[in-house]
Amino acid sequence: MAKTLFEWDYSDYPGAKTYPHLLKPIQIGNLMVPNRIKYAATEDNLNGHDGFVTDAGVEYMRQRAIGVVGGLCFMQGVYMDEKRQGQGYVGQAAAWDDKFIPGLKRIADAIHEQKAVAGYQLMDCGRVGAVEVDYCHGPSAVPQRLRIFKPVQEMTKDDIKVMVQQHVDAARRGIEAGFDIMEISGIVGYLISNFISSYTNRRTDAYGGDIRGRMRAVVEIIEGVKAVCGPDIPVGIRLCSEELLDDVRGNTPEESMETYKIAEEAGADYISCTLGWQESIYPVISRDIPMGNWIHLAKRAKEHVNIPIQMAYRLFKPDLPNEKIGAGELDIWEMCRSMIADPHMPKKVAEGREAEIRHCVACNLCLARLFRDAPMTCYINPVCAHEWQEEFANPKAAEEEKEVMIVGAGPAGLECAYMAARRGHEVHVYDKRDVIGGTLNEARHAPYGDDELYTCVEYQKVMCEQAGVTFHLGTEVTEDLIEEEMPDTVVLATGPVYSKIEAPGGASDKIVNLLDVMSGKAEVGETVVVYGNRKPGIGCALHLAKQGKKVTIVGKEKTAGFDVNPSFKWRYMIYMRQNGITAYNDCDIEEITDEGIVVKSYDGVRWPVQCDTIVISDRGPNESLKKAVQSEGIELFVIGDALIPRNLSSAVHDGYRVGMRL
Amino acid sequence: MPVDPEKEISKVHRALKGAQNEIGKTYYRWRQVALEFAGEGAKPLDVALRAAEIFGKDIGKSFLPRMNWLKGEEAFLMILARSLAGLWNTEGGLATVEKGENPGELLIRCALDPWPTWAKEYGAPMEEIALCRERMYQTILEDISLFMNVPLKIELQKAISRGQGETVMKLSKAE
Repeated sequence: MAKTLFEWDYSDYPGAKTYPHLLKPIQIGNLMVPNRIKYAATEDNLNGHDGFVTDAGVEYMRQRAIGVVGGLCFMQGVYMDEKRQGQGYVGQAAAWDDKFIPGLKRIADAIHEQKAVAGYQLMDCGRVGAVEVDYCHGPSAVPQRLRIFKPVQEMTKDDIKVMVQQHVDAARRGIEAGFDIMEISGIVGYLISNFISSYTNRRTDAYGGDIRGRMRAVVEIIEGVKAVCGPDIPVGIRLCSEELLDDVRGNTPEESMETYKIAEEAGADYISCTLGWQESIYPVISRDIPMGNWIHLAKRAKEHVNIPIQMAYRLFKPDLPNEKIGAGELDIWEMCRSMIADPHMPKKVAEGREAEIRHCVACNLCLARLFRDAPMTCYINPVCAHEWQEEFANPKAAEEEKEVMIVGAGPAGLECAYMAARRGHEVHVYDKRDVIGGTLNEARHAPYGDDELYTCVEYQKVMCEQAGVTFHLGTEVTEDLIEEEMPDTVVLATGPVYSKIEAPGGASDKIVNLLDVMSGKAEVGETVVVYGNRKPGIGCALHLAKQGKKVTIVGKEKTAGFDVNPSFKWRYMIYMRQNGITAYNDCDIEEITDEGIVVKSYDGVRWPVQCDTIVISDRGPNESLKKAVQSEGIELFVIGDALIPRNLSSAVHDGYRVGMRL
Repeated sequence: MPVDPEKEISKVHRALKGAQNEIGKTYYRWRQVALEFAGEGAKPLDVALRAAEIFGKDIGKSFLPRMNWLKGEEAFLMILARSLAGLWNTEGGLATVEKGENPGELLIRCALDPWPTWAKEYGAPMEEIALCRERMYQTILEDISLFMNVPLKIELQKAISRGQGETVMKLSKAE
């Protein structure tokens, strides 16, 4: 008889009708899990640099535990060696000593308080570890492809035995802390995957050779952890279904499936199906990869093993996982980034509140932060990693109710609007356009998945409606209107002002505005110069290149896309190359001629670029209305691109923070 | 103001040549510093070869992100050889790649090398140039061989600094 930890009855949940397969129970080992929802272990860098759990980490997990509505909620992987070679993140939790058990117990308790199943993960980061020491460890000393990672020391047989025992000991600590299910991380270049891969395991002893030899250490870990867990605590493993390392002679997909079978034989109770390494040259989870792109791998995994298969990877919406679970091609829907963006995402699905979900935009800022030793944050969710700060996560009602005029219904204005209204203010949002969304209405037309950015506005609209925000669309705010309305507070979220070209010929009729181009209002010739090499310029250039136009970017920044986080920027660089876009960075337009422009580099070299059209994407802050508001003695805030042109994330974060301060 | 292409290109070309010249000058200035600190007992060739190893190790690391086996061994070796030739060209040399006599052999042929001129200017021996180039490329290949699990070797066949008119290096798989 399988053990049930908490009773859940979803019969009254609307989501049980819409997505019946997501809220069905499943047996994993001898544990009955009430539904098919899992928050997958995700590093957050929120723990102390000594490996101890912090309040921030506990509250972060508590919110995700609420989100899984009784399902699986995994804490981040713990490193297990005192030498810290297995530590891959500065804020990674540790479990190399019993002294860490009380902290780990706080997380298990927080998850249990929400009647969710507490998951614990063992994670030695292998060749991407040693974040605080000079050498990482691995089966073979294969040089690092990426310089940010430390040199690898080859493990001796004794080292391997110690490492296996560390997994067993750390598992025992997890059990003592109260966790219900155990997971071994063998993905993306961490130690287990290093042993498995022909790319990183060149050993000729019993721990190398063919796939069975390369799996030997993994088998020993599974068997050891199973022994300490006993029959009631299931043990699963995350394994690559495809390494995507063909270019460096990694495992074949057939070998990867063999690892699944061997893990099952060794006693694994489930497998979390993953793909790709941090060193892979292929994109896996960024916005340019279509939703559901990898789900076929779960089906293939299920054809090779009989234990439950779980999977994440661009499954941000419930329909596809529900369908695949129903078809027997997947067992559990995993989520990482979608629950970073909205910790209650699956709960909202279950409760029929999908319109209230703040969707992840797959920008990978969260990853970029982790790799740069910064605490987790989210591009789109201002509360992420602030869950423990009550004043931030649940701002108090305003002491004094104000009439707030927000000028601009873009993402900054909307975010500010619902937050201020929720706190009790009377909020009026004005926009000269007759639609909300600001410049996202145009930005969403950029290729490679940028339409997903607009989900932010859809969420904000619902939040504004619920909070009672009043909209005045198609109404341009003027000095007269401010004087007439005389609000207590004005928030200027008017968006940026587009730059003018300060060069001879700057009034040329070749010049058009980015927004007119993206919305299709402007006529654009066959050869185009996009002025401005930040994200909007790149999006516009790609949009035009996709129409077959020859595009050149000219911009003052040292590199194109310097405002895009590095975990996504590399994609843009590849797409620019693929679409034949040339970028002249650290440059300006010196002159506009009949034939095109003259580009001048920072050090004075000049050259001509032919073009029919020049698109202005370079932006500056918007100073309009500031003086008018100040002269009336009205409290004033400027947010988003109107303050300093940046990106969607800054708009949302600005809006939230000002909304909670009003 | 119309662009004068000749003027602009010559300006950029002058800057490139100036920067390339500084590569050699900077190397020999640092060589002098290293020899002073190494003391009288140190052999200049040993110091220079160690420098070649340090350069090679670092350059080898910078090659790794671009290593790619997807097009097979022949293409992999050709891309690697072109990268080694490109390195020379960045310094102001004129190096090209061609197939060797035997399958799997590639020749990196350098017809113009600024290093002998720089060595002469700073009083360094000519043979040092040949040996350092060979050592640097051998060290570059060490990490690449390990990374791709393909043993590689490179041998100096001829050297301008030995008065042989051109420098030729043979790249191949080690037995």
